[in-house]
Amino acid sequence: MAVCKMNTVLHTPNSMSSISTPTKAQMGFNQNHVFLYTTSGKKTNTCKFRSGVITCSGETIVIGLAADSGCGKSTFMRRLTSVFGGAASPPKGGNPDSNTLISDTTTVICLDDYHSLDRTGRKQKGVTALDPRANDFDLMYEQVKALKDGKAVEKPIYNHVSGLLDPPELIIPPKILVIEGLHPMYDERVRDLLDFSIYLDISNEVKFAWKIQRDMAERGHSLETIKASIEARKPDFDAYIDPQKQYADAVIEVLPTQLIPDDNEGKVLRVKLIMKEGVQYFNPVYLFDEGSTISWIPCGRKLTCSYPGIKFAYGPDAYFSHEVSVLEMDGQFDRLDELVYVESHLSNISTKFFGEITQQMLKHADFPGSNNGTGLFQTIVGLKIRDLFEQITTNKVSAPFEAAKA
Amino acid sequence: LRPVMAAPEGLSEKIAESIEHAKEACAEDPASGECVASWDEVEELSAASSHARDRKKEEDPLETYCKDNPETDECRTYED
Repeated sequence: MAVCKMNTVLHTPNSMSSISTPTKAQMGFNQNHVFLYTTSGKKTNTCKFRSGVITCSGETIVIGLAADSGCGKSTFMRRLTSVFGGAASPPKGGNPDSNTLISDTTTVICLDDYHSLDRTGRKQKGVTALDPRANDFDLMYEQVKALKDGKAVEKPIYNHVSGLLDPPELIIPPKILVIEGLHPMYDERVRDLLDFSIYLDISNEVKFAWKIQRDMAERGHSLETIKASIEARKPDFDAYIDPQKQYADAVIEVLPTQLIPDDNEGKVLRVKLIMKEGVQYFNPVYLFDEGSTISWIPCGRKLTCSYPGIKFAYGPDAYFSHEVSVLEMDGQFDRLDELVYVESHLSNISTKFFGEITQQMLKHADFPGSNNGTGLFQTIVGLKIRDLFEQITTNKVSAPFEAAKA
Repeated sequence: LRPVMAAPEGLSEKIAESIEHAKEACAEDPASGECVASWDEVEELSAASSHARDRKKEEDPLETYCKDNPETDECRTYED
């Protein structure tokens, strides 16, 4: 587990031990790694180096996050790592184009690193990155399994700038491993390794609006090219990515607002948090009364809202024939007091003190989505994951780990 | 071994180039694998470029300076 902080290359030694070892690298590259590791004060688990393999005792919790490219995965990841405290940064001294983010407790790996075909290879075969044929699920399974079992791995790096597969980097098992990308729940073996899974479901209208914001200033891009790119990728997206949402424990659905008629700017959003019932260590959030169906407009005598206001909804529902609880927020916040007011009416939010959600949101007021349901629900899911992690770590001795996936 | 720094500067040329290529590839057959893969490349490059821009935006001029010169008057901070 994440007691090990690793630096791949020559960094001024300031930690307790440093070992230099030639590691056997995959993909035909030979590299020398100098890595340093420290053990935290708590000593809940320790890492050992034996016969070329680093193993850490204790279990790693694996979280899967699925979403299409350009749908806010990185913002979500920054919110999630912030809940656990400490900033996430790329591995120090390694490949500058590494997709990995490491913080004290959390390591986030990007599943694009498991592309079996590089950019040229995909073009020759005429397949997209969304296509399972462009991905090596065997390696993905083996390495995620190894990390979960406390073994360090040499993970390849897919370089998004050059489109090539770079030499691998060393990943040491963290306390919490997040695998984010297009296919975390596609392969059954990988799916079974996940302790919790999240799917970010962005509706076509919103996806289009977001990509316009992202790309319009880019040279060569126009409304037509953005549309063409979304449409070309859509068949593969519908065939391989979208079906994964049925396996997710939580789905964050982002839709156009219903408060403004015919709105297509994508600035005001209706966001749904769909939470699966009966998942061990995960108690869905509720509004006022668990299991009832409620529609709530917080604006009134106690709260002034500007146009178009805020509307909440909560209730039980069915999602891919699973029983779920759905919390919905339409509209956006203008001021902080609105959020504290809303937070005080939500239950089961797994906060440690009153106002923690508001505090987390304030910390990252500059992130996209901080004034609407995307930021709110991402923060809630972050707190839920912290709760799940704490429950699993305390129950680890008594309960078998596999039981975490109900 | 490989270039030391990523060059986001070269990315916008690459994007413009790949858009041109995608348009050509789709002119022949809009449903072909080549056409679809070309637009996927455009998406990948656009995402990489947007991530690079975000990273740059986050850099505060004073903080960047203070990382290299923590002893200067502008940068000294004491815990107590």
